[in-house]
Amino acid sequence: MSTQYGFSFAKERCVQCFGCEVACKSWREGELGVRWRRVYNIWQGRYPKVKNLSASVSCMHCADPACAKACPEQAIQKRAEDGIVVVDRSKCTGCKTCLKACTFGAPQFGADGKMQKCDMCLNDSDLSKESPPCIETCPTKALQFGKMEQKEKITIEQDIQKLMAM
Amino acid sequence: MGEKKNQWLLDRRAFLKATGAGMAGAAIGAFPFESFTLDEAMAVAAKADETAVPTLCAMCGPAANCGVYAFTKNGRFTKVAGMKESPANNGSLCPKGQASPQWVYSRERLKYPLKRVGKKGEGKFQKITWNEAIEIIADTLKRQKQKYGPESLGMLSPARRTYSEYLYRFLIAHGSPNYGHSGICVMQRAFAFMYTLGDWPRIVDYGKSDVILIWGRQPIYSGPAQEGVRAYVNAKARGAKIIAIKPTVEPDVGLADEWVPIRPGTDAALALAMLNVVVNENLIDKAFVEQWCYGYDQLKEHVQKYPPTWAEKITGIPSEQITEIARIYATTKQAGIDTGNGLEHTPSSNDAFRAIAILIAITGHLDRPGGNLLGPPLSKMPRPKSVHLTERYTQEWVDKLVYPEFPKPFQPFVEGTSSAYYGMLESVLTEKPYPMRTIIAPGSQALVSTRGSKRVVEALKKLEFYVVVDVARTADMPYADIVIPTSTPYEMDHPFEIRGNWIMARNRVIQPLGDYKSIYEFLCDLGVKMGYGADFWGGSMEASMNDQLKPLGMTIDELRKHPTGIKYEPVPRTYETYEKVFKRKSPRISGAPFLPQGKVAIYNTSFKEAGFPPLPEWKEPPESITGTPELTKKYPLILSDYHTSSVYTASWQRDVPYLREILPYPTVHIHPDTASERGIKNGDWVRIESPHGWIKVKAELYPGIRPDTVMVLHGWWQGCKELGFKDLPLLDGGANVNIMYSVDREKAFDPLVTAMASQTLVQVRKV
Repeated sequence: MSTQYGFSFAKERCVQCFGCEVACKSWREGELGVRWRRVYNIWQGRYPKVKNLSASVSCMHCADPACAKACPEQAIQKRAEDGIVVVDRSKCTGCKTCLKACTFGAPQFGADGKMQKCDMCLNDSDLSKESPPCIETCPTKALQFGKMEQKEKITIEQDIQKLMAM
Repeated sequence: MGEKKNQWLLDRRAFLKATGAGMAGAAIGAFPFESFTLDEAMAVAAKADETAVPTLCAMCGPAANCGVYAFTKNGRFTKVAGMKESPANNGSLCPKGQASPQWVYSRERLKYPLKRVGKKGEGKFQKITWNEAIEIIADTLKRQKQKYGPESLGMLSPARRTYSEYLYRFLIAHGSPNYGHSGICVMQRAFAFMYTLGDWPRIVDYGKSDVILIWGRQPIYSGPAQEGVRAYVNAKARGAKIIAIKPTVEPDVGLADEWVPIRPGTDAALALAMLNVVVNENLIDKAFVEQWCYGYDQLKEHVQKYPPTWAEKITGIPSEQITEIARIYATTKQAGIDTGNGLEHTPSSNDAFRAIAILIAITGHLDRPGGNLLGPPLSKMPRPKSVHLTERYTQEWVDKLVYPEFPKPFQPFVEGTSSAYYGMLESVLTEKPYPMRTIIAPGSQALVSTRGSKRVVEALKKLEFYVVVDVARTADMPYADIVIPTSTPYEMDHPFEIRGNWIMARNRVIQPLGDYKSIYEFLCDLGVKMGYGADFWGGSMEASMNDQLKPLGMTIDELRKHPTGIKYEPVPRTYETYEKVFKRKSPRISGAPFLPQGKVAIYNTSFKEAGFPPLPEWKEPPESITGTPELTKKYPLILSDYHTSSVYTASWQRDVPYLREILPYPTVHIHPDTASERGIKNGDWVRIESPHGWIKVKAELYPGIRPDTVMVLHGWWQGCKELGFKDLPLLDGGANVNIMYSVDREKAFDPLVTAMASQTLVQVRKV
C-alpha cells in the first residue's frame, strides 16, 4: 500500500472535552443516535488511588480490518490508494456482522439500518481541508492524523485496544 | 460526488508528502495539519458554495470569546471552525462551540416579544411588538421610580458577559445600585485575594511551575479550547507535579499525579491546617514575611488551633497527607496554587481563599517564577473607554443597596456595586429593607441559577414586574410579565471583544430569525424611552463602539477591516511587583488602598474595623458530617454539585441535541460501594433526599468519588424535543439541585462575601 492514513491518539493529552465527537457530528451532519467518533472515560485502580484515562475512538481504518473480512456481502474494503476503510452502502444488508467483528465499536446503524462509520472525511465534498474536523478542533492536539507505516499503524491500534479493555 | 474537490484534497496531501510533512507522531507543534486560517476558511467555504464569516463564539462564559469561522449556506448558519489567528483558542474549539448552529436554530428560541395574559406561573402570553414591549417596561419603571425610588429596580446578573457593563450603565442612569450578582462566582475569590494581597494572582506561572496545586478548579468544563487547558497539559508533559484537590476525579484529575479527595465545602479547614504545618515547621520565606507581611505573629498563634489531625476529621483527608502536601508546596521553590469556583460555594469561602492567599505569600510563591503572578498579562493595547458610569457612585448610592453582596464598607467592588442575587429576590418576600418592584433577568434564570428555588418561586409570584430577556425560553419565563427575545451573538454585529492583547469586531453571521434585536439594542432602546438617551448614545450601538474605541484611535468600521482582529505587542512580565501592587487603590468610594499597611494583610485590619474576624477561621456548612452529626443517621451522605460540564454551560444548552446525546440524563456520581450497600446499579433511577427537598436522577457508579459523598450536575430543567426529553419539574421530584440546600440566612451564607452553600446531607434510595 503506497499511502496509508490513520489517526493517532495521545491519552496523556486528552481532557475529554468531546470537541472531536461533536465536530464530527456537526461537520458531517450526523444523525441523532449515531456516533462515528466517541470519547470514553476509562477507570483505573480503586479509591483513593483511582485515576481516569481517556480514549477518543472512531473507525481506526485498521491495517487489517476485521470488519471487511467478516462482512458476508463484501461491502467493506480497505482502499489501496490511501488505506481508508470504506463501506459500499448499496451492498450492506444491515446484518451487523461487522459490529461483532470490530473491537473498536466503530460500525454505527442509523434509521436506514445500514452500516455507517467514519470515512476520514475524504469522501465528503464539503471538506476540502487537509485533516478532518475532529483533528482540527482538538484543543490539546491529543488526536492527530497523518500518513503512517504499517508497523506504526498496528501499534496505534493495539494501544487503543489495550486502553479500551481496561 | 465531488470528484474534483477530492482531487484538490489529494493534491494537497501529495504536496505535504512531497515536502516531508504529514508524518504521524511528529512532534507536537511541528504537526502540519493546523486549523483554519482566514484564507483556508474562505477556500473551504467557496468550494461548497458557502460563506465563512470570522466572528466570536458565544457558547460559554463568562466572557470566553474564542475566535471562530461561522459557515453559512443560503443564509443559514451551518457549522463552525476554530480560528487559527485567535490567541484565545489558537484554532481549536470545544463541543459547545461546534454545536452552536443547533443552539441558534433551537426550537426553544424566542421569536417575538410577549406580554403575560394569564396568572403568574401559568405561562399564558400574548404576542406584542418590540416597541410595545419597550413602552410597557418604560411606563412601569417610570411609575415605580416616582413612587418607590429608582432602587426598586434590580438586574439579575448573567455569567459575566460584555453586556454586563451595559446593564450597570442602565442601572446607574436609572439610579439603582442593585446589580444582583450571583454570590457564587469569581467575585468571592477576587474579594478575598484582593483584600489580602492587593490583587488576585489568578495566573499561575504554569510554564515554570514544578508543583501545581489544582484546588477546586476545573480547567476543562469551561473554555477547554483556551490557554488554561493547554497550559495544564503542557505543564504535565513537561513533568510538573500536579496535585488535584477536589471531591471527585474529573478528566483533569486523570492527568494529575496525586488526587486529594476532599469533602465538599471543607477547603478552608485544609488551608488552615496547611498554614499550621508551614508555620510550625518554619517553612516560610523569612525575608519576604519580614519585609512584606503584616501580622505574621498573630497568625502563628492563631493557627495553633488547626493542626492536620483537626482538619482530618473535617476534610476526610488523612493528616499525614495534609502535612505532606503542605511540605511539598512550601519547599518547592517554583510552585503555584490554581484555585477554582469550587471553593466559592460555602460559608467559609472567604476564609478558604484568605488562608490560601496567606499560604502563597508566606511561603514565598507570590509573583515569582513558577508561582502565582500579580496582574494579568500586559500589552501595548490602549484601554477602551469604559461604558460603566463609575464616576457617579456615591456613599448614598452604596447605602441604598438592598442586600449588599459585600459589606457596604467594601462597596463598590471591582465590578461595581452589587447586591447578592438570592438576597435581592428574597427582599420581595421579606420587604426588608425594602422590596424590589421590578427585576430584569437578562441571560439569567433565577429558578435554576441560584439556591433556594422554593423561595425563589414565591418571590417571582409576588414580584410586581418581572422582565425576562433571553435568546430562548428560560425556566422562569412563566413568571414573566414581559418577555424580550434577543439575538444570539451570531445575529449581531456588535460589540467588539477584547481578550488579552487581542481585539476583534464581532460580525453578523445571519439575519435575526424573528422580531427582536440584541440585548445591547434593548438597553439602548429602553434607555432612550426612559429619557436617558444622552447616556445611551442616542440609541446607536455604532456610536457606542466608536466612543469606546477613541483611545485606540480607530472606529468600529476601521477595526472591522481587520477580519481576524488586531494583536497588540505584549509587554514582557516582570516579577516581584510588590512595591506597586501593594499600594493599589480599592474601588471603594473612599479610594482607600486594598492593603492599609502596604503589606500582605495576614492580620486584616480592614475586616476587623468592619466587624469581621481579622484572621481566617473555620465555619461549617449548614449541614455536614462534623457540623451536624445528629443529621447523619437519616442523611448519611454529603451532597454537592458540579457547576458546569464538558457539554453544558451551567443551566443552559440541554436543548441542543448534539450535546444532549452525550449527557442525556441528570445523573448522580456515587461510589460503587456506596451504591451496592443500597442495592443501586449503574443506570438505576434514584431518589436523593435532603432536609430541604428531593430530586430524581440516574445513578452513575463512579469509582472516582469519595464514598461518603455524592455529586450531581447543576442546572437541569430543560427538555430536548428532538430526543424525546420533556422538561423536568423545577422543585421536588425534578433534578434541580438548588432545592436541596439550606438558604438559612445565618448558616448558609459566607458572612463576609455572601457565598451560598452548595453542601448538604442526603440519603440515596433506589426508586
